[in-house]
Amino acid sequence: MYRYDEFDAALVRERIAEFSDQVDRRSSGELTEDEFKPLRLMNGVYLQLHAYMARIAVPYGVMNSRQMRQLAHVARTYDKGYGHFTTRTNIQFNWPALQDLPAILTDLAEVEMHAIQTSGNCIRNVTTDVFAGVAADEIEDPRPWGEILRQWSTIHPEFSFLPRKFKIAVIGAAKDRAAIRTPAVGRQIVRGEDGQTAIRVFVGGGQGRLPHIAQEIASAVPGRSLLAYLTAILRAYNLLGRRDNIHKARIKILVAAIGIDAFSDEVERQFAILRQEDLRIPDEELARIRAYFTPPPFQALPATSPSYDAARRLNPEFARFTRSNLRDHKQAGYGAIIVSLKPIDGVPGDITADQMEVVADLAARFSFDEVRASYEQNLVLPHVRLEDAYAVWSRLREAGLATANADLATDIIACPGLDYCSLANARSIPVAQTLSRQLADADLQEKLGPVRINISGCINACGHHHVGHIGVLGVDRKGEEYYQITVGGSPDEQAALGEIVGRSLPADEVAPAIARALDRYLEVRNDGELFIDTVRRLGADPFRTAIYEPIDAAA
Amino acid sequence: MKLLTANRLNDGRVIYLGEADAVVETIDAARPLDADTAETALAQAQSRPAIFVNPYLIEVEGRSPTGRDRLKERIRSAGPTVGHSLDFAARLEAL
Amino acid sequence: MQLLEQAQDGVRLTVSTPEEDIRAAAAANDSLILEFEAFRDGRGFSLAAVLRGQGYRGRLIAAGKVLPDQARHLRRCGFDAVELSPGANAAPWRRMDQVFSAAYQPSSGDDRLVWRQRHAAPEDAAALAARLNAQWADADAEDLLRAVLDPALDRKAAAISSFGAEAAVLLHLISRVQPDLPVIFLETGQHFFQTLAYRRELTERLGLTNVRDIAPDAAALTAADPRGDLWRSEPDACCAVRKVEPQARALTGFDTRITGRKRYQNSQRTDLKPFEAADNVLIVNPLAAWSADQIEDWLRDHQLPRHPLVEQGYPSIGCWPCTRAVEAGEDARDGRWAGQEKTECGIHGRVLTPTC
Repeated sequence: MYRYDEFDAALVRERIAEFSDQVDRRSSGELTEDEFKPLRLMNGVYLQLHAYMARIAVPYGVMNSRQMRQLAHVARTYDKGYGHFTTRTNIQFNWPALQDLPAILTDLAEVEMHAIQTSGNCIRNVTTDVFAGVAADEIEDPRPWGEILRQWSTIHPEFSFLPRKFKIAVIGAAKDRAAIRTPAVGRQIVRGEDGQTAIRVFVGGGQGRLPHIAQEIASAVPGRSLLAYLTAILRAYNLLGRRDNIHKARIKILVAAIGIDAFSDEVERQFAILRQEDLRIPDEELARIRAYFTPPPFQALPATSPSYDAARRLNPEFARFTRSNLRDHKQAGYGAIIVSLKPIDGVPGDITADQMEVVADLAARFSFDEVRASYEQNLVLPHVRLEDAYAVWSRLREAGLATANADLATDIIACPGLDYCSLANARSIPVAQTLSRQLADADLQEKLGPVRINISGCINACGHHHVGHIGVLGVDRKGEEYYQITVGGSPDEQAALGEIVGRSLPADEVAPAIARALDRYLEVRNDGELFIDTVRRLGADPFRTAIYEPIDAAA
Repeated sequence: MKLLTANRLNDGRVIYLGEADAVVETIDAARPLDADTAETALAQAQSRPAIFVNPYLIEVEGRSPTGRDRLKERIRSAGPTVGHSLDFAARLEAL
Repeated sequence: MQLLEQAQDGVRLTVSTPEEDIRAAAAANDSLILEFEAFRDGRGFSLAAVLRGQGYRGRLIAAGKVLPDQARHLRRCGFDAVELSPGANAAPWRRMDQVFSAAYQPSSGDDRLVWRQRHAAPEDAAALAARLNAQWADADAEDLLRAVLDPALDRKAAAISSFGAEAAVLLHLISRVQPDLPVIFLETGQHFFQTLAYRRELTERLGLTNVRDIAPDAAALTAADPRGDLWRSEPDACCAVRKVEPQARALTGFDTRITGRKRYQNSQRTDLKPFEAADNVLIVNPLAAWSADQIEDWLRDHQLPRHPLVEQGYPSIGCWPCTRAVEAGEDARDGRWAGQEKTECGIHGRVLTPTC
């Protein structure tokens, strides 16, 4: 993974000095709260219901054991002993004091971490496929491009005061495991005509109040011109995005309002008049960064491991875990292990300091010192020898991190909701907990197969409910918590927004309603057909009736 | 009746205006305000930005939040209802 | 970037003006004021970047609702100056402008781009001088000094001082920025005794801790000037052995030299820039643009001791054989090598490599 050189390190230190200066000036009154707020947001510091929340960047989701241990240290020292991983692969701490932030950031800088631009109207953390460098279908590892983008977008003088936030995702394969059609700009690595790296660019996605799926704006931008092209997109957005209404300020609204063709013309115009040579990534720099992402020193192993196979035969629980949580690796004899942060009845995405230490240990011993955060709010140990999988699983199990539910019905993606967030209308965590208890049966989950359920506590949609196969949105009905259910969304290369199935339901009816919908799926599916494919085939109606018929009849 | 609440600048914690303009951390210790005193209290809080961040008034009956945001205010007063920072577990009864 | 206390005259447009109207105004005016209507509204940054990208060379001034924390955003997008609101404190502006020693993005007029620093061959002094002149054109002397002594530039710097009539200004600035900076004093062996006394007094008063007395090479001196009267017959050779060669020796290993030279001092210096290069050595003249009045004001305002000979009519002081008092109407340096064609001793002309 990337290691800072003295320039990267200096920048992070200087940023802490800048933020400390700003905190002092806020405390002394030299800055008003209104002036201070965007400055603190650009350092990842929110003010939530109960306390400040610090969102630490995990650039394109990659960490090493030292970083994970330092996160545990921060959780213990400045917080209540835990953290929360988000859908943008960042980690949040819910209880830091403002006056502790400089110390927290300094501790993080020691391990090459920061909280720069994890919030605010600027370019946010770049996300990528959690199986980068692992999946066999990859054209090129997208992470070097993630790092290039991280550096280029950091403390950008022109794009720090955008109309709204700007999110970018990048992948290296046709299969979209990073939901690149949901943020403002999505990038897919392809091969250009000259055989060199080129990028297919999507623009105008966004969740929130008015969700949009991104549209393709360019099919193959040469890699070297990527930054110039992105500058043109950002510049067009910065100048034309609405400033009068924060709900209409995101790029998705602009692209929808003027149309993708007109927006594309505007981008081309800006691209033509800017000094591209300034933004051409030097070959040496690209080579330097790529060198950090070369494959680790894998052993030459046979494709199967007798001890692994034996362990599966002897231990059904381990076997079940491997069916759901162990993924193929392009290197023979290795696998990627998904560490579930969705224990039944737990808080989706939360992890305690002790658990972080366990994961750090396992990463160091069994995964070439690498661990990653995923879009699904889980962690991944990307390079585990099959013969070590049983040992890893045993340790994870002791620590409560081995729930065999990756991509299954209880692998619920949920935002923190009204328990923590001042923007929320309703709580999301209790709904996730109840639902996970309802669907806990492991056999049932395997029978259902992969189903993505997303819960958001408000229309800001941080739980990405619009692109859930089943989405749940908390709404406020006269001060009571109600939930709207959607069906048929999808975050991948067949991206789609879910359809609302009917009126919103009170909290205690949500889990039973979803259970009914899943039962209906089992009744109507074809052999081997995934839930989302059944929805695509039959539409939302069968599920609508399954949800509402019984309650309408009872009414 | 109303109460004045805000977040405290240095640690972000929920605070209320208590007796004698003191800053208190529990809703039970907050000072009830009527229509007149509420506006004055709000203006005073707004003039102390070194302590009060985004002060505002909430509707209460006794010390129980009422009004549209009552659930949010109850959670603010009692802490998260779930999870690893579960404080005030006993207060869940009131919710 | 300049901080302007007064409202400026000139074409003033808000940042909500359509881009093509801004471009038209730029085409027709050599200066433009862009008014920010809210500090969160970042259109002004892109407008400036667009203009600079198209080659606009005029003056761009930011005005309106901007925060000191946006200083470097403004500068790096191409603004030359910002109009401060009345009564605004300039100190946070200066601080926040210089918080970062380098950046990941290219920007107009500021070349501290991380990619270039990572991969470029070490910058030669001429390129560095050109870049610094462009970047620090409007800076005051202390800021110039601070800039060149910034550890991020990784220069090995030394100052040269004659401890003469005006030396106190540069030495005072040095004491404010880096009191342990090496200061080279050429002990030619032919100084006025008042100069030597002044050298000790000023060093102590200013707290300079690294003043180095450099004497001529003893053997070379005996050979060239056994009777101490070389100045009479061959003043150039005398300067060479007593000043030029010792200085070259003293400056070996330093890639940056700081001098107190000023444009007004003699007609050969009228083009003097703050940064120059010679033989791949960066030469820094922080006081280049200062007038005689500014010098006097500084000496007086900071109550710096004067060289004792100044009040005796010696506005410029070198070695005793070649210095006389000036008459009214003469230039300050007319008392140096008076009656000869020589106007400069040569220590600033070339960097010689020592023969030993």
